[in-house]
Order: sequence, then C-alpha cells, then structure tokens
Amino acid sequence: MSTFFAVFRSEISRIFSLRPVFSVMVVAAAIYAVFYPQPYLNEALRKVPIAVVDQDRTQTSRELARLVDATPDVAVAQVLPDMPTAQHEVYSRSIFGILLIPRHFERDLLHGRSSPIALYADASYFLMYQRMNGAVTAVSRTLGTNFEIARLVGLGVDPPVAAAATDPMPFVAVPLFNPQGGYATYVLPAAFVLILQQTLLIGVGLLGTMPGAPTPSGGARRSFGDVAYESIATLAGKLLAYLVIQALIVSIYLIGLPYLYGIPRLGSVAIILAFAVPFTLAVGALGLVVAAIFRKPVAVQLVFAAIGLPFFFLAGFAWPAEAMPMVVQWFARLLPSTLAIDGLVNVAQLGASLSDVRSEFLGLWLLAATYAGIAVIVEFRNRRAVWDPAIS
Amino acid sequence: MQRSDHQRPGFSLVFWRELVWLRRRPLLFMLVFVVPLGLMLLLTAIFSAGLATRLPIAVLDLDGSELSRSIIRAVDATPDTAAVLHVAELSEGRHLIVSRKIRGLLMLPHNLERDVFAGRRPEVVFFYNTQTFTVGNLVLRGANSAIPSVAAGIRISLRTAEGQPVEEAKTAVTPIPLQTHALFNSTLNYVHFLLAALLPAVLQTAVVTTMAYAVGLDVETRHRFAVLRRLGGGLWPAMLGKLLPYTILFLSMLGIADAVLFKYLELPLRGQPALLVFAGIVFVLSCQLIGALLALLLRPTAAAISIATLLTAPAFGFMGIGFPRIAMNDFAYGYGELLPGTWYLMARIDQTIRGTPFDLSLKPVFVLTGFVVVLISLTAIRVRIMRRSIPEQAS
Repeated sequence: MSTFFAVFRSEISRIFSLRPVFSVMVVAAAIYAVFYPQPYLNEALRKVPIAVVDQDRTQTSRELARLVDATPDVAVAQVLPDMPTAQHEVYSRSIFGILLIPRHFERDLLHGRSSPIALYADASYFLMYQRMNGAVTAVSRTLGTNFEIARLVGLGVDPPVAAAATDPMPFVAVPLFNPQGGYATYVLPAAFVLILQQTLLIGVGLLGTMPGAPTPSGGARRSFGDVAYESIATLAGKLLAYLVIQALIVSIYLIGLPYLYGIPRLGSVAIILAFAVPFTLAVGALGLVVAAIFRKPVAVQLVFAAIGLPFFFLAGFAWPAEAMPMVVQWFARLLPSTLAIDGLVNVAQLGASLSDVRSEFLGLWLLAATYAGIAVIVEFRNRRAVWDPAIS
Repeated sequence: MQRSDHQRPGFSLVFWRELVWLRRRPLLFMLVFVVPLGLMLLLTAIFSAGLATRLPIAVLDLDGSELSRSIIRAVDATPDTAAVLHVAELSEGRHLIVSRKIRGLLMLPHNLERDVFAGRRPEVVFFYNTQTFTVGNLVLRGANSAIPSVAAGIRISLRTAEGQPVEEAKTAVTPIPLQTHALFNSTLNYVHFLLAALLPAVLQTAVVTTMAYAVGLDVETRHRFAVLRRLGGGLWPAMLGKLLPYTILFLSMLGIADAVLFKYLELPLRGQPALLVFAGIVFVLSCQLIGALLALLLRPTAAAISIATLLTAPAFGFMGIGFPRIAMNDFAYGYGELLPGTWYLMARIDQTIRGTPFDLSLKPVFVLTGFVVVLISLTAIRVRIMRRSIPEQAS
C-alpha cells in the first residue's frame, strides 16, 4: 500500500509542478472551454443571402420573392436582371443561391398550367444548400397548394373538401432531440468529450515521459511477485491520481459547460459521471501506453497535435459509422472517445439509461482494463530492468 | 556531415544539413512523412464512401393496408433510407433511436387508408434524431422525398377518379414545381465537400507544429542560432535553406493527398491548376512561417509547440466548412480571417469544384501571399533583434 500512496502523491504533485503537464491538463482545458465553442455560439444559420432573378415582374412573382424572403432561413439580398450577373455574384460569394422566376410565371399559373421555378443553390457549403433548398421548397409547396385550392374552390368544390384533396395525407416530421437543429447543440457535446481525451492523453503522455517519476530503487534482487505487486500498485496510484485531477475538469466539461452554453440535457448527472469514470481510466491508461511508445515529451506533443480532427470524425457522430469501411470501424473502437461520445451523448442529450448504453459502458471498462494491463507489463519490465539490465 | 567540411557557407549548406537531419532524426522524419500521410489516409478511409446511403429506419405500421405498404416501399426505395424493421409500439421505436440502432421511425396511423380516401387528412409522422446532425438530415431528406410523392399519387388518383385526364391531373397537383440544382456538387458528395477540406486542415496543424519544433532545434540555444547563421553565410540564405526542405516535403504530402482525391475520388478540377498549386505553395509557406515565428518568439521550444497546437488544432471549426462563417460571431469570424487555412480552402474550393473565373479567384491567393510577405518581414525583424542580443563571436 505504501507504493500506491507514494505514487499517488508524487503524481499529483508532478501534475502541478511540471509546467508543460499543467499547461495541457489544466490551462489548455480552460482555454478550449472558451475558445472551441466560439464559431457555433449563434447556433443556427439564418438568412442565407440569395438573389432573385425575376423575369416575370408581376404581382405573383414579387409575392413569391417576398414569401421566400420572409422565411427565417433565407434572405433575398439582391434582385438581379439576368442569370450571368447572378452567377457572377455566386462566384464572388456575396450570394449563395439564385431563385429564377421565368417569364409568364403568373400567366401560366392563372391559366392552370404548370408554372415551374428554379433554384440554383450553392452546394459547396452543404448547410447553406440545405437551408436554401428547405426554405424555397416549402414556399413553392405552400404557394402552389394555395393556388390549387383556389382553383378547386373556383370550380365549385367546398373549401374543406378542396383542402383535403390538395393535402390528403399531411406529412409531419418530428425531431426528437435538438429540435431547433442547433449546431452548437449538435457539435459541442461530442467535441467536449474529444477535448477531454486529447488534453488528458497528452498530459499523461508528458507525465510518463518527463523526468522525475518515482524511480524504483535498485539494490537487492527482488522476487517476481514483489515486482509484479509493485507494478500494479504503481499503476493504480497513477490512475487514481488522474481520476482525482480529472474529477473537476470532467464535471465542468460534461455538466457545467453544456449548462453555460445552453445545451439541453435530458440525462441524469449521476449516470453521466458514472460513465465518465471508465472513460477517464481508459484514457489515462492509454496515455501511459502512449508514453511508453514515444518516450520523449516533445514526440508526444507533436504526434498528437493534429490527431484530434481525424479522431472526431472517427467517432461515428458527425459521419455515420455505417458508411465507414469495417477496418476503420474496428480501429475506431480502440479509442475511448468513440465509445464515450456515443455513450455520453446518448445519456446526456437523448436521456438514455445506463442499460441503454450498457455495451458502450462495458466497452470502456474493457478498454481501460486492456490499456491498464499493457501499462502494468511496461512498468514491470522497467522495474526488472533496474536490477537486471540484460532484460531490457 | 562531410559536406559541411567542404562547402562554402550559404543556402545549399543549410538546405542539405536539414535533409541530413531529416534522415537522422526519426522524430522529424515521422512528423514530415508518417504523421501527415497517416492522418490523411485515415480521414480518406473514413469518408471513402462519399455518400451515406440506406440509413436504417423502423416503421410502426398501425394500418397494415395497401396504402401503408406502398408508403413503406417508397421510403425503402429512396437512396437515403432503408426500412429495416417493424416495431409494435412507439416506445420501442424511441428506444431503438436512443440506442442508435435505427436513425428514424415512421408512424402510419390506424385507418390511414380509409381516412385518406374519406378526406379526413390523417397525419403520417416521422420521428428522427437531430442530435446527430448529418444523419438526421439525411433520413429526413429520404422521408421528405418519399412521402409527398406518395401523397401526390393519391391526389392524382383522386382527380382521375373524378374523370380528369391523367396529364391534366399531374399538372394540377403541383402548380409550382421547383427544380433545384445543386451547384458545383450535384451529387452532394461528402468527399468533395468535407474530405477535400479536412486534408489541408490536418496538414495546417502538422506544418505549424512541426516547423515550431524544427526551428526550435536551431534557436533553443544562442550558440546553435549563431551556428545556423554562420552556416548560411547571412540571414536570408540561412532562413531560406532552413525552410525550403520542409516546403518541398509538405507540398509533396499535399500533392499525394490531392492526387488521390483527383484520381481515385473523382474530385473535379474545374479551375486553373496553376492557381491551385500557387495557392498551395503560399499556404504551406504561411503555415511554416507561423510555426517558425512562434519558435523564435517563445522559449522553450515545448512552449512554442504548445501554443502552435492551441492555435491550430481547433482551427477547422473556424474555417467555415461545416458551419458557415457568415453565421459566426465577430470573434470567430475574425479568427478565421487570420488562419491561412481559411483562405486556402476558399482558393481550393474555387479551383476544384466551383471553377471560379480567374478574376474572382484572386482574392484568397492575394491574401495568402500577403500573409507570406508580412510573416517573412516579422521573422526577419525578430531574427535581427535576436542577433543583436548575441555577442559577435570570432568566426
């Protein structure tokens, strides 16, 4: 037990005394908490600027343009005389779509003919495309339905019957979670888990590679069992130290920040924190494995600098895992972030119970055990090497 | 290092010394080749499918009529959604959505067919999950295209039953048909939209951090800094010789990624290739100079690398690919403005999928060139200040 407590105390004090470690685990975590969410704080993309090319110039065509402008998603920024001018504006990114209302739009409508309109929407930015397409589709359907009802009523059909004939089977889409479709609500819960993993992984990687770790004393030859016991006690001491330090940071990231940024939470705090325990242990143990592989603090820093972005997309959150090759799906499951993002988002944002996310929960414990096992073996070899250099 | 014994100080001496370092230092080698290629390969593998199709949804069919079956067939037939299972009650479907076994739930109410033809307007409800943004929107798109088309079929049949000719009925049910053209990426392919932007974004972080480290190797001690200057035989040749090997190597990495994108993943190249290459060069140079400047300003090198990571690792969100920049707050918009990646991605989108005319393509390229000029000047000023602080040693 003395080894366990000695390692625990020394690891805690090293986290605070080694500047690079403290910078990554505490300072960077604090900065990212404010810095990372900035682009998404407005939550929604509103008023995407488009141009109207109105070749009809009638009351009805102007009414159509006005209805499009009145939607929250799209704003008619310009009314332009022809398509080439409008295309020029699209290329210069001052507008992102063109609504073309052809000549005789009103005349054809009034004569009961089909009167098509066209939307040219910039699909080099998907979110803008989606907003423009959604808004203009809705307006053209509504306006078209109004005309259809008016025609039927003109033919002597009762208004309620006309309404039923034009829309016999209304389609209602109900978003179960994140009903406003907010971008921050979507991206931040997952990103916070990933930031936790990155800062802890690099922090532990640095701790494991920087000098000053309590070194096993040389001297007398020790039995296999003693060394094994000491290795396990050392690892347990380290992991407990990380768990204690992270307790505050994880709580802030998983409970405090979502609250401050107004992200709805359906799940209970207790389940979220219960889920965070195997996650923290798995990342901490993985960090020790990383330290054993890279050996130099600067290598840990550099190799892991750019790795966050691929890891984020690997989690199967922003891009469905179903669409990834099997090899990639299997690799993704080796990372604590993949299971943790699935599990924690399901618990916190979808209100899942612990039994709903049992497989992720157990998976994280399995990862924690596996990486801890590897870390113990590494520790064991290092300790034996102290009195028997032939082994290393 | 035999060369240094024989060669005169100058650009090529520093240049070759750097290449020898790359061969002898496994970490540097890994950072220039293994890490960028590995990460770009991983991202390419993730998005290789390009489109997410046939996402699983469940059906709660309380009607069991001919109409409800035809709706299920229509939803199953869209490229976006696949009706993979039937559930018996709403709570079961909700449970499956929460555990992400399915991505959406289509509910067809009791007596759907009877009520539709009696004019009672029963609702067809589709539950989906917007917490997973992309997937939620994709399944919604599938349901949104399938169900109104079934409804349109019903409306046509209601009219033909009244004796209206089929063609006339078809016209009458959609008085204002909307033709939507997805400009520049007509299949809405994620490879061309997201992957093509992610690769340079990863490279940006790799270049800035690696350069902070590589330059840090030379400026960690005053002595080493003086050695570099003497080897270069002056400020400019030393700087150029130090930076250029990495420019070439990182550009090659970008080139390999682009070759894969253009050749195997069918990214179109509709603009001017020369402009794309030039933009790539000034992009890599800007990133290098940011890294170099950080190494010159911050000691120890580990601190420079930390700051480089802090500035560039979260940069992708600021570059406005997923969430557009026009919707960001002032701080995020301004920070995006300062990132080379923001401008390079603009130039890249212009020259690949958009095929922007030459005169409208120049702004991002000019801005990147401006970055390079400003950063070179700042670096030179910083180096001069550092030189003054070093006592001149006899050579």
